[in-house]
Amino acid sequence: MFVVDDLLVRPFVSLINVVHAMAIEELYDVEAIRDDIKENRLLFEVGERSREEYEERRTDLERQLDVAEQARENLQGKVEIKR
Amino acid sequence: MASTHLYTYGITDDADVAFETDGVDGATDVYAVEHGSLAAVVSDSETMEPDRSDENLRAHDDVLQELLYRDGGRTVVPMQFGMVFKNARALKGVLRGGRRAFRKALNDVEGRVELGLKILADEGATVDRESIVASVTERLEPVSVSEAENGLFSDRLVLNRSYLVERDDRAAFDEAVDGIIDEYGETFTVQYTGPWAPYSFVDIEIGAQR
Repeated sequence: MFVVDDLLVRPFVSLINVVHAMAIEELYDVEAIRDDIKENRLLFEVGERSREEYEERRTDLERQLDVAEQARENLQGKVEIKR
Repeated sequence: MASTHLYTYGITDDADVAFETDGVDGATDVYAVEHGSLAAVVSDSETMEPDRSDENLRAHDDVLQELLYRDGGRTVVPMQFGMVFKNARALKGVLRGGRRAFRKALNDVEGRVELGLKILADEGATVDRESIVASVTERLEPVSVSEAENGLFSDRLVLNRSYLVERDDRAAFDEAVDGIIDEYGETFTVQYTGPWAPYSFVDIEIGAQR
């Protein structure tokens, strides 16, 4: 959670920046994508997803993961998100 | 031609390892690099960063499985996927630096295997997680040496645990899992996997240069 006080005592953090940071956080949530990759595999293993569905989703998620990891690396130190 | 590096599967105390198999990145031969009383089980690799493909991940695990059961079976401390050393000298340096940790890990897992249990609910189902976890714990604790909580990476996962089990207790553990499947198999998907090399029960950080 954001600490509202932080926003009051740190006027250099504009609301737009905060919203932007939150969007980045959500868009490039590497851990969440990794969890989705594991879930996809589990659902394939227990027979809830066909091999085709599994492969398609996996390709998509791996692409997302690459983008997220690259974005995180590029943004390192530029965006601070307090929780 | 690219130089040959050493892809490492695990550590054993048995230097007498050499067999043909389907290893990581198309390797066909697995052998041991010995240092003192420890041996790293390796195959030759052209790359320091093997692809994390399903095929390679499966090959890594298949080699560990073979080590667990081949020639009467042996104790193995598994390496994470992707541990490649530049050459035998670098690998031996790690064996030397980590010998106490490896020795302790080998003792901890000797004669034991890892088994995995996942319980998966239907999408959107209401679940009394606490009672299921309590029931599973009650059934499996007496027939296992140790348990490790794994992440609930899906909202649908009710339980995700690994168990360290004495090889001699496998039948009793299987029977206890049958009881869980009888109790929950109608309502939930119960996934029972293994035996695996004891990935979840060794935790060694290697800080040396690969």
